Amino acid sequence: MNYGFLSSFFQKDLFLVLGFVFECLKERGMAGSNEVNLNECKTVVPLNTWVLISSFKLAYNLLRRPDGTFNRHLAEFLDRKVPANLNPVDGVFSFDVLIDRATGLLCRIYRPATAEEPEPNIVELEKPVVGDVVPVIIFFHGGSFAHSSANSAIYDTLCRRLVGICKAVVVSVNYRRAPENRYPCAYDDGWTAFKWVNSRSWLQSQKDSKVHIYLAGDSSGGNIAHHVAARAVESGIDVLGNILLNPMFGGQERTESEMRLDGKYFVTLRDRDWYWRAFLPEGENRDHPACNPFGPNGRSLEGIKFPKSLVVVAGLDLIQDWQLAYVEGLRKAGKEVKLLYMEQATIGFYLLPNNNHFHTVMDEISEFVGSDC
Amino acid sequence: MKRDHNHLQPNPDPSSLRGAPSTGKAKVWDEESAQQDCGMDELLAVLGYKVKTSDMAEVAQKLEQLEEVMCNVQDDGISHLASETVHYNPSDLSTWLESMLSELNPPSTFDPFGAAGTAAAALDDSFLVPAESSTLTTLDFDNINRKHQKSGQQIFEEASCSDYDLKAIPGKAIYSQKTQPQTHDSSSSSTPTNVKSEKRFKSTSGPPSPSDIFPPPPPPAAASYGIPTASTRPVVLVDSQENGIRLVHALMACAEAVQQNNLNLAEALVKQIGFLAISQAGAMRKVATYFAEALARRIYRFYPQNPLDHSFSDVLHMHFYETCPYLKFAHFTANQAILEAFEGKKRVHVIDFSMNQGMQWPALMQALALRVGGPPAFRLTGFGPPSHDNSDHLQEVGCKLAQFAKKIHVEFEYRGFVANSLADLDASMLDLRPSEVEAVAVNSVFELHKLLARPGAIDKVFSVVKQMKPELVTIVEQEANHNGPVFLDRFTESLHFYSTLFDSLEGSVSSQDKVMSEVYLGKQICNVVACEGVDRIERHESLTQWRNRLSTAGFSPVHLGSNAFKQASMLLALFAGGDGYGVEENNGCLMLGWHNRPLITTSAWKLTNKTTAISQ
Repeated sequence: MNYGFLSSFFQKDLFLVLGFVFECLKERGMAGSNEVNLNECKTVVPLNTWVLISSFKLAYNLLRRPDGTFNRHLAEFLDRKVPANLNPVDGVFSFDVLIDRATGLLCRIYRPATAEEPEPNIVELEKPVVGDVVPVIIFFHGGSFAHSSANSAIYDTLCRRLVGICKAVVVSVNYRRAPENRYPCAYDDGWTAFKWVNSRSWLQSQKDSKVHIYLAGDSSGGNIAHHVAARAVESGIDVLGNILLNPMFGGQERTESEMRLDGKYFVTLRDRDWYWRAFLPEGENRDHPACNPFGPNGRSLEGIKFPKSLVVVAGLDLIQDWQLAYVEGLRKAGKEVKLLYMEQATIGFYLLPNNNHFHTVMDEISEFVGSDC
Repeated sequence: MKRDHNHLQPNPDPSSLRGAPSTGKAKVWDEESAQQDCGMDELLAVLGYKVKTSDMAEVAQKLEQLEEVMCNVQDDGISHLASETVHYNPSDLSTWLESMLSELNPPSTFDPFGAAGTAAAALDDSFLVPAESSTLTTLDFDNINRKHQKSGQQIFEEASCSDYDLKAIPGKAIYSQKTQPQTHDSSSSSTPTNVKSEKRFKSTSGPPSPSDIFPPPPPPAAASYGIPTASTRPVVLVDSQENGIRLVHALMACAEAVQQNNLNLAEALVKQIGFLAISQAGAMRKVATYFAEALARRIYRFYPQNPLDHSFSDVLHMHFYETCPYLKFAHFTANQAILEAFEGKKRVHVIDFSMNQGMQWPALMQALALRVGGPPAFRLTGFGPPSHDNSDHLQEVGCKLAQFAKKIHVEFEYRGFVANSLADLDASMLDLRPSEVEAVAVNSVFELHKLLARPGAIDKVFSVVKQMKPELVTIVEQEANHNGPVFLDRFTESLHFYSTLFDSLEGSVSSQDKVMSEVYLGKQICNVVACEGVDRIERHESLTQWRNRLSTAGFSPVHLGSNAFKQASMLLALFAGGDGYGVEENNGCLMLGWHNRPLITTSAWKLTNKTTAISQ
């Protein structure tokens, strides 16, 4: 049970007051960008984290066009990518697999190098995993459905970490992105990857000759993980757990956290709206079940064997009300869910190992996955 | 990658067709200022950003400044930064931010806008540093693509026809011109219009502001920081290994037997491979066959005759050019860098180490012809190996180029040199003119690695290049290490490299082109596997390795920017069955890959220290 959530109620009141004061001070027409906010933002994260996330914010501002189109070329140019690497780095090696030629769907597989085979044999990349229980984490990178790739440096790094802390094989899915590919492309790609993973004999745990699958993702990736899990259980395939880091959900209504935190910690409502408009089918609003799975158009998960979930919410993320509503929705349907509410965390805190939230979350993830072994 | 490129936006923003001015000239930031352990923030380095810890606060400040400025300007200012500005080397955060700040904040000491405020004004030429980025037309690619010609002659005739009339740009061909406010709307058939008022932030490049001019850092140390160290081995499996597993196992086992000189076993395995290959389909079968043949040659010591059999090579080379984008990408990106380096020069000289049929040059000449202010005098010196039929093929190529030059009204001079090896070259042969009079660019596409077969050859060539005092050296090489000391490693690396390459050919439209391209690549495979010593010329090395060689030899990187990246990406879209191709930026270099596996790299270089060039 996480008590941080309770103490945040008091913090929230304080924030409300301060928020009100800041609102009064705002003169410019633009959401949230003034010196007070910039300074405040800087006090809650280490400087290099601030630089990193601010650079993303800047780049992303350049890439989104007001007419809803996206400067994909510049996005690809600016994104820092890393190649797959068969040479183990910190005990992890990786290789890419084309799993669907028709859509060009690539996944990057991360495996631990073993003591017996410190230099993976290039012929045996799909060598059977060894172990009674070997978790396989299917990871969906974030980027609000529009940004980043499986080979983005930030996500390559994160996936490598997950291999280590969970003693798992990680499969990172390079799903198609918006606005060029709207709903349901990302989900379809997630589902394709899921089926592919589930059908690999070399990923089966020895205990029961089944693939032990966890779904994980941050931001839009968390959203995708939820929807793929729902589809999986509907198809009768087990998912052992969902790990959602700052998952991207929303709704038509404007919530209190959205209004209070708009523009304060790197993210604005305006950009959130842009990304939903880019992803959701044209003409749909944010109560579409992709965006708002427990909203007016959502569907209850009661009676469905939905996996246990670990949901991480950053206390300075403006969409936290939607994330908390998601957790509530799971609870109401009787699903097992653990909420990690990281009060002083902003978006992206899990990208750099330079803060306590990072380590707390990594430990929780390790335990979450480890508890089945 | 098919992911998103279907396609960009419904109505291409016409302003995106214009070349972009940027702060000053082509970026020449010496990335070597970011050396290992130079106080780099390690956490950011892992994520691909090079920021010194001591600079962090300053970088943060620039971010804040940019945020503030961006709030102040209207939306157009931001879209200008996105669509007009050329970005370079995003890993160097500080410089990247600075260049954007300069775009949005013209230097306060200089106010060309005066009464015009922030509105675009047609700037007096004298205030403008000739901005760099014209962008090449890819019209000739379209032409060459569309018409399959077997002989080299026809390529030039096509290229000279009126398809170059910019008023009628077909289909996806891109034309872009630099700063002078002309727009060429792809759908427009009218004559180029002048200043488009929508463009608020025009050419703010002005004269270089103090912040633009950095003193060249001291000569770099051997290694570069932040690049995947030593060996990165990227692999993409395009088919499940389960399918071809026995075949690959047999190939590897055979190679191992060869390495251990267990020739009986090797022979038995080679035969087995033959059988296994038949049961495979597609690229895997072909690749396996070529590798098996190469192994057989090695086992039976039946070495390939003439690695330099030129006339056949020409034909193969051209089919390869047509079939897949690798050569076009190489030419295109190299030309883009050369064009920028030649900005403002009245006389230019390209020294091409990879002349072949001269297919790289019409596009460059075309772009020079269209340059604002008119083309420079263009001199081309081409090198090539001797031909076996005693024909002076280099001269023929030169004649065709001369005809082309005449049609497009570019003053042209040409000289061809036949040489067995580039190491036979001496600067004195070249009739070099003083660099104030004539700017030199040296170009090498898939040639330098051959020099690694002879000790000292590469160093000799580097030293001769330095004597040429080039503005720019463009180098395109395969992105692979096929030159390691251990045979089995070379075998393994090249097996995966060529498998990926062959896979990319599978989608080709013309089966004849495909076959010829496979033969072309097959010869390389044969060389890597069956040859040794001075005969083994396909000694490919990775970008990291070339970076080390070049910086040790006294060269510094010149960065290729977002305009070249974008145009190269759009070029790839022209290839049918080519959804798997992708361009990647790597510390100022551009890589072309298939399904995220980088296969070739274009890099550009200048002399670190111009004044000592002569003495080297």
